[in-house]
Amino acid sequence: MMGDNANKNRPYAPSMTRRDTLKWVGIMAASAALPGLNACSSGAGQVKQVGATAGHWPELALKPVTAPGYGKDPDLISPPSQIWPRTLSADQLNVVAILSDLIVPAEGEYPSATQVKVPDVIDEWVSAPYASQQRDREMILPLLTWLNDEAVIRGGVSYSALALEQQRLILDDIATLNAQTPAAFERPARSFARLRALVLAGYFSSPQGTKDIGYQGNVAIAGDYPGPSDEALAHINQVIDELGLSAYSWTDPA
Amino acid sequence: MANTDFQVLVVGSGAGGAMAAYELTRQGIKVLMLEAGRDYNPRAETPMFNRNADAPLLGSGNKDKDFGFYDATVDGGWSVPDEPYTMDEDTEFMWWRARMLGGRTNHWGRFSLRFSEHDFKGKTRDGHGADWPIEYQDIASWYDKTETLVGVCGANTGHEDMPDSAPGVLQPPPKARVTELLVAAAAGKEGIRMAPMHRAVLTRSQDIRQKCLYATSCGRGCSIGAAFQTTTSLIPLAKATGNLTVITDAMVREVRTDDTGKVIGVTYVNKSSGENVELDAPVVILAASACESARIMLNSRSDKHPAGLANSSGQIGRNLMDSTGANLGAYIPALRNRPRYNEDGHTSNHLFIPWWGHDAQAKGELDFPRGYHFEIGSGFREPGAWVAGDFQGYGVEVKEEARAAYGSYIGFALRGEMLPNDDCYMDIDETVTDKWGIPVARFHWKWSENEINQVRHGLETAKKILTNMGAEVGALPDPEEAILKGGQIIHEVGTTRMGDDPTNSVTNQWGQTWDCDNLFVMDAGVFASNPHKNCTLTIMTLAMRNADWLAKQIKQGAM
Repeated sequence: MMGDNANKNRPYAPSMTRRDTLKWVGIMAASAALPGLNACSSGAGQVKQVGATAGHWPELALKPVTAPGYGKDPDLISPPSQIWPRTLSADQLNVVAILSDLIVPAEGEYPSATQVKVPDVIDEWVSAPYASQQRDREMILPLLTWLNDEAVIRGGVSYSALALEQQRLILDDIATLNAQTPAAFERPARSFARLRALVLAGYFSSPQGTKDIGYQGNVAIAGDYPGPSDEALAHINQVIDELGLSAYSWTDPA
Repeated sequence: MANTDFQVLVVGSGAGGAMAAYELTRQGIKVLMLEAGRDYNPRAETPMFNRNADAPLLGSGNKDKDFGFYDATVDGGWSVPDEPYTMDEDTEFMWWRARMLGGRTNHWGRFSLRFSEHDFKGKTRDGHGADWPIEYQDIASWYDKTETLVGVCGANTGHEDMPDSAPGVLQPPPKARVTELLVAAAAGKEGIRMAPMHRAVLTRSQDIRQKCLYATSCGRGCSIGAAFQTTTSLIPLAKATGNLTVITDAMVREVRTDDTGKVIGVTYVNKSSGENVELDAPVVILAASACESARIMLNSRSDKHPAGLANSSGQIGRNLMDSTGANLGAYIPALRNRPRYNEDGHTSNHLFIPWWGHDAQAKGELDFPRGYHFEIGSGFREPGAWVAGDFQGYGVEVKEEARAAYGSYIGFALRGEMLPNDDCYMDIDETVTDKWGIPVARFHWKWSENEINQVRHGLETAKKILTNMGAEVGALPDPEEAILKGGQIIHEVGTTRMGDDPTNSVTNQWGQTWDCDNLFVMDAGVFASNPHKNCTLTIMTLAMRNADWLAKQIKQGAM
């Protein structure tokens, strides 16, 4: 179910900024379902059994991003785009694209993460000069290297060169972070959790993702605020009843 | 220069300064206003309806835009370039500053709760801190006038902690939302009532402003003037009288006095040119914010005012208070996959939990004085840089979790009253100056047991209410860890407090300094205590009342 943007045969095509592309992406996503990735998931090396790998984690000598930020008085009406240089390499961006569409595949009428240009959001994010983004950079960039290292260990090729099923097998080992996560996968799992959160944010904040999650606001209302719908009121009254709180229900002041 | 034709010079354009200027100019007094930041026009600059996806980093905050990309604050925040402040060793204080016309009113929460009878006489009740030199009845009618002018929506409930407004003053409140209805029932089980929040948001159009259109966060500012800020209301209304002149990028260095100690004017830095400009002024009103006004006074030393201007009491910078803050939130399973509807409303609390503990306090059942309230965080918000949910795995199951968890979290934000204490104050750091060569403020801070006990009580109460809603809250954090930092709630007050006694207060009840008849303070520095009800409405109410008193003095020739 992956969009073709993440296809290893057709590398992810970054945009100047995701924000410039959302308008036409909306049109594109509405037009037709895009081809899945099954047709191009052949040709990579054999994958070894999970667990055959010892713990490894790349120690990257990441240079801090020193580009200036947007400052304390940016144009809020027409936000600046491409403020700081993007830092992900084509290969890193491609791995991010593959992960993005595994995390948020196309689903029914809704597009995949790459179809709404989430990898551009991630690139902007990990390239930003601010403290929290720099911390994310130090989590996410090693993950991308780790995935390549793990792919080489298991299949002898880079992660993006693996077949989809093999990409999934590696992800299956790091996509759950809990007490049972093997020590060898803990760091990549932690980093993947952070990347997953960012991919979800990038997707659900897009126009299509906002519709997908059901946000109905940001609409000017001419009269008074109408309040909850009948359905929403019926639901909460049932919840209040089931919690044994009906006796304390709110009544508007006279 | 051309701006010499004025009777009163006002320093600051936020809640206090703009209200003082409005009242004075309305009464025919010529006013010159100095603002340290740039000119700012919300009608042209507010990013109304812009989506998070259209902003860098999905609109999230950072050191450039602390409260998010679209927050109205420009050129300010937790840090101001080239204008540092310092802190005593072992203490931490966060000082939010705005450097823009309208100051912090451009982005404030608009919560507008009256102080009540017991708030003005706390010391009489429990022996702590200081009483105000006024009673509630002295300013009740001024609250009515201020609420009418500002435009406050809400309702009279007769709640013991919320004095009623006069009939017809409040605008209709918006309907309660689903999560607020649930909190109301869950709190009700504990005997705790919710009430409609009073907010400076128009639900009916008035003067030059439109009513709320129930979308796009007030923190961005409001191009239609529905969410109150002085830049769409008091300042243009005052300018329309023809009696107000405003100079922006004018950073006051000091208030000047003559040999007798009387105020004769100010010196400000023209930030565009870097030049010092001396202005003569018959009357000066400081309304630069509690700590900025105190800083100006402490930096205005002379033979007659060796400890700082109008500081014979030694109280300037002392009695610094913020509100206490703490947060507790939880996932409410019963709200999973709840029916969608437009939950923006006026983008903040329609209902909140006012302080309910007066009886318990009177009976001696609480281990802290004074009170707090809860603001509620919840709702179907516009997706941004954070998506709620308990995520494991990837693919459609993760998307399903995001959709299910959307709008199913409820958070309680405690806002409480702190007491003044000897460890919390500001002074001048003589070793550090800002870009303009002005010595900077230095902060000293330590919470007392009163605040810690209050936060513990708040966390335990919030847990009970969340548990009533079916949440699994788990172990509570230690209150010492949970309490937010000094200054973080941005309600700093008390540094030039008013009183009845010149030996332990800086101004009288009119904001007139005891030491200089023609020097007034009309920001939150004059607060004698810091009730938990958010300071802005009372800043404006006192400024209106005291500017009216000043206007009468001027007309009578007393100034």
